[in-house]
Amino acid sequence: MANPSPGPSAEPSAPIVSLCDVVKDYPLGKLTVRAIRGVDLDIQAGEFTVIAGPSGSGKTTLLNMIGCIDTATSGTVLVGGQDTAKLSDRKLTQLRLDTLGFIFQSFNLVNVLDAFQNVQFPLLLQGTYSAAERKDMVEGLLQRVGLGDQIHKRPNELSGGQRQRVAIARALVTTPRIVLADEPTANLDSKTGNDIVDLMRELNRDEGTTFIFSTHDQNVIDRADRIVRIVDGLIADDTAQQRVQDAGA
Amino acid sequence: MNSLATLRVLVEMAIRDLGAHWVKSLIVGSLLAFGTFLVVTGGALLDSISTSMEESITSSLAGHLQVYSADAEDSLELFGGTGMGSADLGEIDEWGPVRDTILGIEHVEHAVPMGITQAVVFGRSEIDRVLEALGEAVDEGDVGRQQALLGHVRTIAATLREEVESRSITSSDPERAAEDLAAIEEVMSADFDARLAEDPGEALIFLDTRIAPLAQDGQLYYLRCIGTDLDEFSEVFDRFRIVDGQMIPEGRRGLLLSKRFYEIWGKMTIARNLDAFEDRIEEGKRIAGDATFENLVKANAAQYQRILFQLEPGEVGPLMTTLKGVMGTAAPDSEAPEEILEAFLLVDDDTFAARYAAFYEHIAPLITIYELPVGGVITLRGFTKSGYMRALNVRIWGTYEFSGLEKSDLAGASNLVDLVTFRDLYGKMSAAQQAELEDIRVEAGIADVSRDDAEAALFGEGGLFGSQERTVEEPEEEELVEEEELDEAVSLSLIDDRVYSKAEMVEGMVLNAAVILDDPVHMPAVTAEIESLAESEGLGLQVVDWQTAAGIVGQLTYVLRGVLLVAIFVIFLVTLVIINNTMVMATMDRTTEIGTMRAIGAQRRFVIVLFLLETVILGLISGAIGGGLAIAFVGWLGHVGVPAVQDILVLLFAGPRLYPTLSLGNLLTGVVVVTAISLLSTLYPSVLAARVPPVVAMRGKE
Repeated sequence: MANPSPGPSAEPSAPIVSLCDVVKDYPLGKLTVRAIRGVDLDIQAGEFTVIAGPSGSGKTTLLNMIGCIDTATSGTVLVGGQDTAKLSDRKLTQLRLDTLGFIFQSFNLVNVLDAFQNVQFPLLLQGTYSAAERKDMVEGLLQRVGLGDQIHKRPNELSGGQRQRVAIARALVTTPRIVLADEPTANLDSKTGNDIVDLMRELNRDEGTTFIFSTHDQNVIDRADRIVRIVDGLIADDTAQQRVQDAGA
Repeated sequence: MNSLATLRVLVEMAIRDLGAHWVKSLIVGSLLAFGTFLVVTGGALLDSISTSMEESITSSLAGHLQVYSADAEDSLELFGGTGMGSADLGEIDEWGPVRDTILGIEHVEHAVPMGITQAVVFGRSEIDRVLEALGEAVDEGDVGRQQALLGHVRTIAATLREEVESRSITSSDPERAAEDLAAIEEVMSADFDARLAEDPGEALIFLDTRIAPLAQDGQLYYLRCIGTDLDEFSEVFDRFRIVDGQMIPEGRRGLLLSKRFYEIWGKMTIARNLDAFEDRIEEGKRIAGDATFENLVKANAAQYQRILFQLEPGEVGPLMTTLKGVMGTAAPDSEAPEEILEAFLLVDDDTFAARYAAFYEHIAPLITIYELPVGGVITLRGFTKSGYMRALNVRIWGTYEFSGLEKSDLAGASNLVDLVTFRDLYGKMSAAQQAELEDIRVEAGIADVSRDDAEAALFGEGGLFGSQERTVEEPEEEELVEEEELDEAVSLSLIDDRVYSKAEMVEGMVLNAAVILDDPVHMPAVTAEIESLAESEGLGLQVVDWQTAAGIVGQLTYVLRGVLLVAIFVIFLVTLVIINNTMVMATMDRTTEIGTMRAIGAQRRFVIVLFLLETVILGLISGAIGGGLAIAFVGWLGHVGVPAVQDILVLLFAGPRLYPTLSLGNLLTGVVVVTAISLLSTLYPSVLAARVPPVVAMRGKE
């Protein structure tokens, strides 16, 4: 995948993620709970965005829809310019593989595979690179996240921070345009959490990868370019809007 | 997705997953291993049985193909059918042309003519023998022995009295019953001693005519006889061998008894019982503590009279001394032969071996052990096709068996006779016999009345009703009775010791024939050839393969195969359900992992392949273990052999033990079945796994 890597200074053109009047309902027993109640949100390539909000506010739901692993009840979700509602499961899967990277709260590594194999996994699914190319890419990334000497350890032989580093390497190995991270520091102590966020910031700066977080960890929020606050399924506050307003003022 | 590397990771993941969920793998793996073991072992055993059964059937009676008349109403069952009576197989009127036609076909090596028929032999009843002995005693003037034998007659008369009494209650002829009872009382009374002493001849006639007919215990032997060209038969069926006596000399008539029949049915009761005890003990059974066995021994000992009345007076004393010597301290104090013999026959585990040997060494030479002795002449009575009985004196030249099938009742069910004798028993007369019968008819002054003229002959011209159109009861029955009497006269007269030419023996009517090929693979082709030739030449034949010809026995492997298939099916159904359930549970446990893989870009089919691969790999490993165990097990069985514990198994195993072998086909079947089962049982769980939505990855908590 050779994505054009728009520099941080690039002029905002078409947003890489665009949500328009998105509504998401969940059945809860006989009731229907409306988790997202009409959200409009554009995210530009290269942004380091945090979706913040209390538990149950709908931030993970929003992330899932951006990540193409959940669909909106109504409204449109455009990822990389594609309307996700109009894609088949196969196409969506391919979109996730090529365009998105995932970092989970619980790391979600494949336990039976070692660090190298976990990171290599998406490359195998893509089937584009030779074994030698894969080896260079995977080892390079593991060095980058500081696990150059741990590449053949299994997840259960690694600490929480190390596992999340493996997960980050896995999310980035395909050089996706967007990386989604769902509370990536929630299961880590604050020191490790900070290190992880630092690492992601670094990658964002160097590679121009778009990062979208969901978190209520203040440490993470403090380092974001843009903070979108969600309360009860609605955007309560968006620093980008403020910037626009500030600039306008 | 297509690359080899992906497959490698899939395989690696699958193997590691198997290890990570080892309890599940162990359960499923054991089931699959057991299933494979069963398929391979069962298949190997069945194939071995099929082969050995084919061998034993084709090499004993059947050959590869059997031909018989297309007019047959019943199907051919060489080893005897389920019902009694003889089957209607139609007839092949002239063997010669049929044989020439069949032998002209490529790959046919031999054609052996045959004919199956039933015959009976009346054995003598016990009272017949006692009276015969009494007659001798009277001739010799041995009063002591006369007394002893009369005592035996009275023992028999006492049991007869009970029978007659119970019969008189239901009898339609109470006067007759009363007369019979009176006759018995007469014998039982002390006066009869005097009567015997005064006029032994008269007393013997009284016993012969009034007492002996009351006894109904004369043994009746049913002989299944297969008539065949014995020279050809013994040459073609290489398992055939003579055990006692000799082969029927070429061109001579006679009977070869089946050794099995000879030993079991033709042997004197006490000897046969002792043989059976010997078999039981050899099987490891003990008399002591086995109530059934103890009773059998007691019942056998109680029959000591059967020995006693056959002994010459001079033989009794020395024999008793010998027997007491054999018994040693266990011998009774009494000098009474009855008590000594009974005590001698009351064997236990410690004394059996010595006394069994002593029986054959000391007692057997003095008495008749075989009712139908080799070298003797017996009267066979055949139920001919026309319904009347025909008696025929036949020499028993020897006994035969099929080697390896000695212990099979089925293989030993048939006795062999020459074709001329068969035709006599079956009811076909030779031209010479017909002429002879005609002579006797003329002598006896019986007009040959045809059915059409019968009415006129019997009732005079014009008949009773004066109309030829009227249907009158046919007097056939009367005619038949007379014919039967004549027949007895013809056949009982002498034993036919003439030497027949080959043509006389073989040409003529037969019922069926065994066709032997150079290679059984040509069976279908030769069958078709015979059928088409039979059609074009109007021979009226039908052809069946050995399996069909063997009747119910031939179908047994089908039945066994069916049972095995059902067993395998049931086991695999259970396995299928268990594997399916286990895999569904495993899928539930692994939703986060599956969801994660799906979220980061794995397509559904990746998940399906991963799951299928897991069970297939497990299946192959378990299959290899199960197959390996099966190879070892069948190898071991092939070394020690599977004992034929039941009679039918002797035939199926072509001997007392089956030494099974395993073929590559058996193994391949096992591999195919186990793979199919693995795939089938994982299909649903893997589809279920593929349906896990990627969003569950987000919910996952470690």
